Amino acid sequence: MNVLSAYQIVAVALLGLGLFGLIFRRTLVGMLISVELMLSGAGLSVVAASQLTPASAELGQIATLIIMGLAAAEATLVLAIIVVVSRRYRATESDLVSLLKG
Amino acid sequence: MEVFAKIAFGIYLLLTIGGGLMAVLSRSLIRALLGLIFSLFGVAGFYFLLAAPFIALMQILIYIGAVSILIFLAIMLTRAAVGGEESEKRPARQFLLALMTGFIPAVILATIIKVYPLPSESVPVEVSLSSLGKVLVGPYVLAFEFISVVLVVAMVGAVLLAFERKKAR
Repeated sequence: MNVLSAYQIVAVALLGLGLFGLIFRRTLVGMLISVELMLSGAGLSVVAASQLTPASAELGQIATLIIMGLAAAEATLVLAIIVVVSRRYRATESDLVSLLKG
Repeated sequence: MEVFAKIAFGIYLLLTIGGGLMAVLSRSLIRALLGLIFSLFGVAGFYFLLAAPFIALMQILIYIGAVSILIFLAIMLTRAAVGGEESEKRPARQFLLALMTGFIPAVILATIIKVYPLPSESVPVEVSLSSLGKVLVGPYVLAFEFISVVLVVAMVGAVLLAFERKKAR
């Protein structure tokens, strides 16, 4: 196995862990944690692919920076949504928050 | 040097995967957050190994400094920590289904990576910080500006969503 494949396997493992957690977790906060795992795996994959191949290394690093910015924005919005949901339903389990029409 | 790199890779791998397992499996959400932080530190270590120290420091600053604190605030505001909703026993069927959901795509992708490996250099390219900055404000200035707009919109949206009205509707 060459060096790039080793990094890509780690990134895929993070993706698998994140998907597993997204399905397995019952609370919204647990799902948010799983999504962050997946996003950091994506960043690792992009940086590894750009640093270890003849592709432009700057471009990969900038792409990862933008992934991080998007992750921060997404975490902020999800935090606000969780606060609103917990205020309205008094719960943050995804099973209980299933009412679509009030 | 080669041996040191392999040892460091092993340590970071342990940190990343162990932290990830803790993040998805632990009963308490605070422990899950701690696992996420371990995992993100492991990924920052991988960035250092890939000769991208700026990205590694940004990983520590943004993910561990900002996003983890946000998630901690979310746990605190929803009072989910003590004897949380994750603490009850789960049926084995749910566990198996979730395992399949996570591992089937991962195994398919890992097989593709294993069967068709890309040609790879064994030493990562080093990029100076100034050339990174030149690309960021040169050809990709629009992406750079838009990410700030996205962040502002997200912050304003979060404040608007979570703002508590004094009057009852």
